[in-house]
Amino acid sequence: MDAYTPSKPSLSRRDLLKWGGAGLAAAAAAPVVWSPAHAQSPKRGGTLSLRLWDPPHFDPHLTISYKTHIVYTFSHSRLLKPKAGPGVVPGTFPLEGDLAESWTQPNETTYVFKLRKGVRWHNKPPVNGRELTAEDIVYSVERFRTVKGNANAYMLASLDKVEAPDKYTVKFTLKEPYVWFLDMVANPMAVAIVPKECVEKFGDLKKPKSVVGTGPWMLDSYRPNVGYTLVRNPNYFVPGLPYIDRVEATVDEDNASRMAAFIVGKYDLGWEFPGQINRTDWVQIKDTLKQKRPRLQTAEFTGNVMSHISMRTDQKPFSDPRVRQAMSLAIDRQGILDATAEGVGVFNSPVPAALTEWSLPVAQLGEGAKYYKYDPKEAKRLLGEAGYPNGFPASICFTTYGSTVLVDSAQLILKYLKDVGIDSKLDQKEYGAYISSCFYGKFDSLTYGPQTPFLEPDNFLFGQYYPGETKNQSHINDPVVADMLIRQRRTVDVAKRREVIHDIQRYLAKQQYYVQIASGVYVAVWDGALKNYGPNLGYDYGGRLMAAWLDR
Amino acid sequence: MLRRYLFKRLLVAIPSLVIASLIVFTLPRLLPGDAVQLMMEEKAYGKDVDDLRHKLGLDRPIYIQYFTWVGDVVRGNLGESLWTKRTVAEELAMRLPITLLLGGLAIFFAIIIAIPIGVLSAVRADTMRDYVARSAAIIGLSVPSFWIATLVIVLPAIWWGWTPHLGFTEFSKSPTAHVLQFLLPAFILGVASAAGIMRLTRAMLLEVLRQDYVRTAWAKGLREGVVVLKHSLKNALIPVVTILGIQLAQIFSGTVIIESIFQLPGMGRFLFDAINQRDYPVIQGINLLVVSIIVLMNLAVDLLYAVLDPRIRYS
Repeated sequence: MDAYTPSKPSLSRRDLLKWGGAGLAAAAAAPVVWSPAHAQSPKRGGTLSLRLWDPPHFDPHLTISYKTHIVYTFSHSRLLKPKAGPGVVPGTFPLEGDLAESWTQPNETTYVFKLRKGVRWHNKPPVNGRELTAEDIVYSVERFRTVKGNANAYMLASLDKVEAPDKYTVKFTLKEPYVWFLDMVANPMAVAIVPKECVEKFGDLKKPKSVVGTGPWMLDSYRPNVGYTLVRNPNYFVPGLPYIDRVEATVDEDNASRMAAFIVGKYDLGWEFPGQINRTDWVQIKDTLKQKRPRLQTAEFTGNVMSHISMRTDQKPFSDPRVRQAMSLAIDRQGILDATAEGVGVFNSPVPAALTEWSLPVAQLGEGAKYYKYDPKEAKRLLGEAGYPNGFPASICFTTYGSTVLVDSAQLILKYLKDVGIDSKLDQKEYGAYISSCFYGKFDSLTYGPQTPFLEPDNFLFGQYYPGETKNQSHINDPVVADMLIRQRRTVDVAKRREVIHDIQRYLAKQQYYVQIASGVYVAVWDGALKNYGPNLGYDYGGRLMAAWLDR
Repeated sequence: MLRRYLFKRLLVAIPSLVIASLIVFTLPRLLPGDAVQLMMEEKAYGKDVDDLRHKLGLDRPIYIQYFTWVGDVVRGNLGESLWTKRTVAEELAMRLPITLLLGGLAIFFAIIIAIPIGVLSAVRADTMRDYVARSAAIIGLSVPSFWIATLVIVLPAIWWGWTPHLGFTEFSKSPTAHVLQFLLPAFILGVASAAGIMRLTRAMLLEVLRQDYVRTAWAKGLREGVVVLKHSLKNALIPVVTILGIQLAQIFSGTVIIESIFQLPGMGRFLFDAINQRDYPVIQGINLLVVSIIVLMNLAVDLLYAVLDPRIRYS
């Protein structure tokens, strides 16, 4: 099906305006337009071009920057990785072995991985293609969790020790049961397996020369602000893969030039994270693209970037649930989508709608569902009942993140709150100041902003609702929630765990500790020549392209 | 005589550079937010803000930081980027040639556009050609170069599926492609500067054309070309050359945006990133270098006066 597949909003504005339409949120999360690859045999060769970002440096254990981690999805392996390809529904992340051939869990806190044999490092100095062993995994995991300056180390906070009982076996012992352990190990932000020779030789892995992995491509050249090139690893441990010979990553920070470059065919994937096009840009250029690049393929799925209003729930007036519920009722979520996202998007439960396996659609949140409606009258009534018939003053801590969408939505939020008597002022901070204060919960009244787009629900829930967690912006200390959060971390049976997570969402919908706004629906776009490719959330570009091939 | 003048001017340049270094050092620190706050999120220093500040040497009194920096600069050490850990000198060596070529070509375009049109406009003052040229200059002055650049890139892509060269080609890979990729951005940068130069050329030339010696030249029956180009233009160009020095600073600031749009990895783009990340050593290094270039260019402009007008003597 090489025909151009025009983007259609997955749910209309009218649908969402109707309250009952919220149930469509789940439908929206599934791809609307899907384009399976031809049943052709894959072809080797070719160069794939895409717009990526300039890494601040190349040490994945010393930065939270996706700009660095993306490079590693091409050049390095992890123990596990999320499956990729046209068969995977965006927003789901089924796991498969990467360096691990198999794994077992003898008890609640032990995981044992059997490694593939004969995996070789890139044939580059100082490692020169030696065989990877379990000691390499132990070294990488230890470095990941102990090196000073790794902001992602919390991902393996549950780990007690890691050992290599033999050359091809790695054993992890956890301090306490943590069922998301495998998802963390598979996450591209977590442990990339790196060789100790490079750290020993270069001191760290910041230099391009130290990018030596076991992944499908090898870093060939890099020029700051220009981009980098990766070439096929001829000794990759999966025979025949990857199919694509060369990956050209261009650093392109100007939206106009990115758009022009995409129209004329310079990039094979959409230029925005993760391989998509901003909906506002898409609306402008889709007709042109239809003529200029008629073979383009598209898919739509909900984004996992979720903004919310946080509040000091440990202090008055936000300690009163009626005030928080009123805040939620005062916000016209669809109005924000209309103003900032061409009206297309999905309302978020406490777990973003994008995570289709875990998020409960707003309509199914039970009693709490009603607080997602836009109902200023009811909001005023609740405020009156809570003792604030004339509202109260507040301030919203905010940073723009350089996004006009965020600025526009913040202004609308001010208006909506003012309409019910909550007279808020925008306390705009410079990005660095915002992150070091409001993002970590240091503010007096309210904040508004996006959260890290995680790929599993635990980081959204535990990280933001468990007492004392650094991203618990709303200062929540609710024993009921805390108990459920621990319970979901210990429930091995996935169906049962899903039930607990659904219960958490129902409970949180009533509490409204955060006012979740909405997420946009991504327009993923890729060249028709790119086969066996399936878009997904997150920045595992290398993983998604590993078995893809070019028909040109 | 010229040598003594040159020596004196170089001495005068020192206080200029010292003052500039103070401004260059202080201004980035007046920006809200600082590198430490930005790095905290990025590098998990969490509660150890003071530790990170100490590690970066930002906890010392500002005058000590300044003197340490100046001392290092004098010894040829511009410091190290807080983020990439590469030395500023290394980064600049890679990027300076790109910005110099872009800026140099922009000046070249500005001159070859502005001077002929300015002359034509003055010689044919208050005719249709003059009105058109002056209107064009007003437009050139009013329209920002990044807007022209955006249109030049996006519109042909939408209309014809073609766009000017985007991306960077190394000289070693293709010398021709390397030079060609600078032409359009340099032309766009040059157009903005050309407007001002053209207006000044016209005004100055009109003034000179009214001088007695020019009337004498006409009376002698000299051809128009000789009167205008040889007898008048040379004298009219002195203030124009001064303006060129000022335009140079403008062109350097213009590269910040133009380099981003045309994906040229020059100093402008590097500065843009450094400001966003509050990378003080990089901001300081680039600004100091640009100030030095401008001081030297102004010196060159002063020396040019003598060539243009023999009445000016350096004594």
